[in-house]
Amino acid sequence: MKRLSNLDYLKLNKWQAFWYNLGLFFCAIPLFFKKLGLGILKFFKNCFFALRDEFVDIGSTFKRGNWAVKLSFFIFGFGNLFYGQILRGILFLLFEIVFVGYMLLPNGGIYWLTKGNWFKVGATVGTVQTQHNVYDEVLDSYTTIWGDDSVKVMLYGLLTFIFIFAFIYTWRLQVKQCRICMDITAKGKKIKSGREDMRSLLDDQFHKTLLALPLTGILAFTVLPIIYMVLVAFTSYDAAHDGSSNLFSWVGLKHFNELFNFGHGGLGLTFGEILSWTLMWAFFATFTNYFLGMFVAIMINKKGIKIKKFWRTVLVMTIAIPQFVSLLYVSKLFTTSGLIGRILDRIPFIYNYRTSNFYVSLWDSPTLARILLIVINIWIGIPHIMLIATGILMNIPQDLYESAKIDGASSVQQFSKITLPYMLFVTGPYLLTSFVGNLNNFNVIYLLSGGNPIKGTAGGASVGHTDLLITWLFKMTVGSPESKYYIASIIGILVFLVVAILSLIIYNVIPSTRNEEDYK
Amino acid sequence: MASIKLTNVKKIYGKDTVAVQDFNLDVADKEFIVFVGPSGCGKSTTLRMIAGLEDISEGTIEIDDVVVNDLQPRDRDIAMVFQNYALYPHLTVFENMAFSLRLKNVPNDIVYEKVTQAAEILGITEYLTRKPRALSGGQRQRVAIGRAMVRDSKVFLMDEPLSNLDAKLRNQMRAEIILLRQKIDTTFVYVTHDQTEAMTLGDRIVIMKDGFIQQVGTPTEVFDMPLNLFVAEFIGAPKMNTFKTDLIMERGRYYVTPYGAKIEVTGAKADMLREKGIKSREIILGVRPEHITRSDVSDPAAIPCKIKVNEMMGSELHLHVEEDNGDKLIVRIPTVSLDDHERRSMVYGSTIYVTFESKVMHFFNPETEMNLLV
Amino acid sequence: MKKQNDKKIRKTGLGARASRRISNTIIYVILILITVVWLFPFVGILLESFKSETNMQTPYLLPREFGFDHYIRLFKETDFLIWFGNTAIMGVATAVLQTVFILSMSYVLSRLRFKGRKWLMNMMLILGMFPGFLTLILIYKVFADVGLTERMAPLGLIIVYCASSAMGYYVSKGFFDTIPKSLDEAARVDGATRFQVFYKVIMPLSKPIVIYTILMGFMAPWGDFILASYLIHENSQGMNVAVGMYEWLSRTNINTHYTMFCAAGVIVAIPVVAVFLGLQKYYVEGVTGGAVKG
Repeated sequence: MKRLSNLDYLKLNKWQAFWYNLGLFFCAIPLFFKKLGLGILKFFKNCFFALRDEFVDIGSTFKRGNWAVKLSFFIFGFGNLFYGQILRGILFLLFEIVFVGYMLLPNGGIYWLTKGNWFKVGATVGTVQTQHNVYDEVLDSYTTIWGDDSVKVMLYGLLTFIFIFAFIYTWRLQVKQCRICMDITAKGKKIKSGREDMRSLLDDQFHKTLLALPLTGILAFTVLPIIYMVLVAFTSYDAAHDGSSNLFSWVGLKHFNELFNFGHGGLGLTFGEILSWTLMWAFFATFTNYFLGMFVAIMINKKGIKIKKFWRTVLVMTIAIPQFVSLLYVSKLFTTSGLIGRILDRIPFIYNYRTSNFYVSLWDSPTLARILLIVINIWIGIPHIMLIATGILMNIPQDLYESAKIDGASSVQQFSKITLPYMLFVTGPYLLTSFVGNLNNFNVIYLLSGGNPIKGTAGGASVGHTDLLITWLFKMTVGSPESKYYIASIIGILVFLVVAILSLIIYNVIPSTRNEEDYK
Repeated sequence: MASIKLTNVKKIYGKDTVAVQDFNLDVADKEFIVFVGPSGCGKSTTLRMIAGLEDISEGTIEIDDVVVNDLQPRDRDIAMVFQNYALYPHLTVFENMAFSLRLKNVPNDIVYEKVTQAAEILGITEYLTRKPRALSGGQRQRVAIGRAMVRDSKVFLMDEPLSNLDAKLRNQMRAEIILLRQKIDTTFVYVTHDQTEAMTLGDRIVIMKDGFIQQVGTPTEVFDMPLNLFVAEFIGAPKMNTFKTDLIMERGRYYVTPYGAKIEVTGAKADMLREKGIKSREIILGVRPEHITRSDVSDPAAIPCKIKVNEMMGSELHLHVEEDNGDKLIVRIPTVSLDDHERRSMVYGSTIYVTFESKVMHFFNPETEMNLLV
Repeated sequence: MKKQNDKKIRKTGLGARASRRISNTIIYVILILITVVWLFPFVGILLESFKSETNMQTPYLLPREFGFDHYIRLFKETDFLIWFGNTAIMGVATAVLQTVFILSMSYVLSRLRFKGRKWLMNMMLILGMFPGFLTLILIYKVFADVGLTERMAPLGLIIVYCASSAMGYYVSKGFFDTIPKSLDEAARVDGATRFQVFYKVIMPLSKPIVIYTILMGFMAPWGDFILASYLIHENSQGMNVAVGMYEWLSRTNINTHYTMFCAAGVIVAIPVVAVFLGLQKYYVEGVTGGAVKG
């Protein structure tokens, strides 16, 4: 599509400009993917070059290094010790000893690595199957022999891989440090002592001190499990093959096919339906809350409205009270035996509307349940956006409104020409996060409808009409005797992809991120 | 009390954005040096490199003959006043000023003595128990200076300290800084974008543009003998008039021929031209507004101009005039030299005749924009 | 002529005032309606908790026989007190630990510049896009091995809540970003180490965000169902209130436990609401600041 010059663009009337912008938007999407592709390509290119530079540097270090530096290629921290950095040297050396010890121990790293049959399609994770009914000559009876636990084999294998990476990195680090020590000494300058190292942890290396704990937490409880879950997608890990009683095995991409199989027995159709409801839900939940919340905020903040603080506090009550209390209670209000459910039951119009039943069961009709969810979500979600909108409304410079009034704008025009654009601009990133949050809004769905009404089973769990991907995942992984963890992890990966791609597109389209300075 | 020496200092942001380069400067002990230049010229960056708030990409900075490149700010023994004051909002004025001493665990009686002494000099004793937000801009500025004063540090750095004040207060504080300087006798490095501040405060001025030093010299030097066109136009207000014209040498005498007039160059400038052996050539001529005088039709050196804008400044009149082929000049006329009739006649569209002082013209090479006489 | 003009002016003036009065009245009506709708469930739960005549759902709201029976039953017949205690302990522990984690992370990302900072932020953004609870499949296995599930689930949950909490650094980073950088620089020139800058300059200025973070940490365990139900696995001793009370409203239990649920709900809501309303100011500050800065 041809881009118009600025002056030509100004000649367009309202509709022409609208179509023009719409065209630009859709033309930008392929361009965006092209850019993304190029970006990824560039990333790998940079990685390649960085890696090459590292190797060149290691080579030259070995060539021109003195004997101490050369020796530290094999003995960690030797160079540091040689140049008087006792603390660092000892730490490096300790690391090497621990690593070598761990790898060589009878139940150590090498043991776990060989057990894993890594990525051999068809092979089991772990080598010894747990056997029941093995004849024991001494006891003269059948006993159980406990074999490997696939879950553990995979976990320890993974940990060993990480340990090996850490080892290589540390090796590289200490070699580099030795070279730096050598260079500094050659220039006749002083090398940092252990005490200075410790002190700098509170000063120019303060970030290391502060990040140590949080990053360890994230590594252990997010990064590691996520890598693990990605691996599970390529195995047959489910309730029947739970690792300890029955080994699971590597299956490659087999289960991905299952998900994209739209025929009988495949999960494709169910997945498609749930995904589309999830997107629909996120869309409605986000925008109903957004506009109604803004509307309420404007009403409360209007000049001349009294006891503003009271109205706000009333709304904020839904944030203050734990959601499981309020949502569960409200959910029960709308059941057929609930207070409101019964009242609705008596309204003739609705009564006649569903002639096959004597009552209107809100939670039993797919469409009504979905609408009810969105409505109740308004109750839970408005206060939040109301607070945000209040903050922003107060930040809009008053003179904008004054000048608009002098220019002859009515109050509706003031809203549409000043308040709305300003709000949309400032809350762009918030809209994105709240959309993503709603995609994964477990609490509201699970506590209100529990995913019901049920429409069938899929992935080893029952699936309902109001299930989001996330609640389906939950059902699949908890409490079901047929839990298929591998499906869960495949869906987890897909949820990630959906969220990531949507975020990237929205992030590139909303104005707040493109021209940050516009409203400052 | 310390000298500062910057050698080949260079600052690169990111991969290839060069903020400062080829920066060489010796600051003597107890000297007051001013960095001046338009925004984005690298003056603040240089100051922050001296302070240790920015890494030095290349080159070395020495304070008292010690290379400080790798020292933390707190190990450099410097004091600094920030543009936006940077007062700690949660501390009282007293604690703000005492902050650095408290960090060093100085006993309270010494802290008290030093802070009250500084407060006395700056006239902020009565505000010592207040929080910064209860102070006006000028008072905050004094607290910021006071905080730097109690340090007794080797070097005193000031980063555009007056630019957040209104015009009147700025003039007042400028005078006070000059007074202050007599009291705290130390090395000052002062950054500003305002040439008036630079001229009035500095022992020497460093004029910068696009990361390069343009000229270093005393206020008189940079005013009388600007090294290049940029310095010439930057120093002095209103700014110097510059335009292309010809320099003609006839029988050992030099003339310039702006707009058909013929003006002889006299005095020291003529001698210098002769010494340099400069022939007739095209030049950029620079004339300061105060070196343009009124003349009349009969004068062969007179240039007729139309008045476009008449700015009455009180003690003087700034006339923006337009020459016949559209070039604009600014003329500065002391009001005492005008009678009522003349003043009334200087209105939009009327014609006046001007000529240039023959001794104080500046000549620049049109290609290199360098001063021909240097 | 002049008189006519006067009239005109007065007329429009009156019109504006009248129309404002009308619009304000409409707004008041809407706001009152909103208030009724918003408070109805809360009033309802409170009233139903005092119905001593029944355990079931009833088509009326006001108790016919007013009494504290359900509250008494709650403490006599169920493990509610244990659940409540578990949740309170988790709330306090999470509030403390999570605050340390989040503030460290956000301070570092906002104020300190180091190699890999951008990379770190991008990584956390990407990690945040994975459905978090999937990690529990592995964590549950490991925790079950070391004994941090079932009875000991509260301890395990504290670890789970806090370990990765630093990934939610956005709001407090947004706050730190608003503190002028020149304050740090001034302090460093004045002779402070980065650590001293942190606790002598930045922390005293960050009271609102510290309180906000504590508040968020305290409230999280009270409402958490998904993580808790995973680790607790039906062991009553280790339950938090959400998991414990969820069962009361299942199809089989609702007719005997409905009003007790209401009573328990009231008790749970009281401390949380009290803390929340007391610190509402800071919550609003955090929420609006975070959203505006993105």
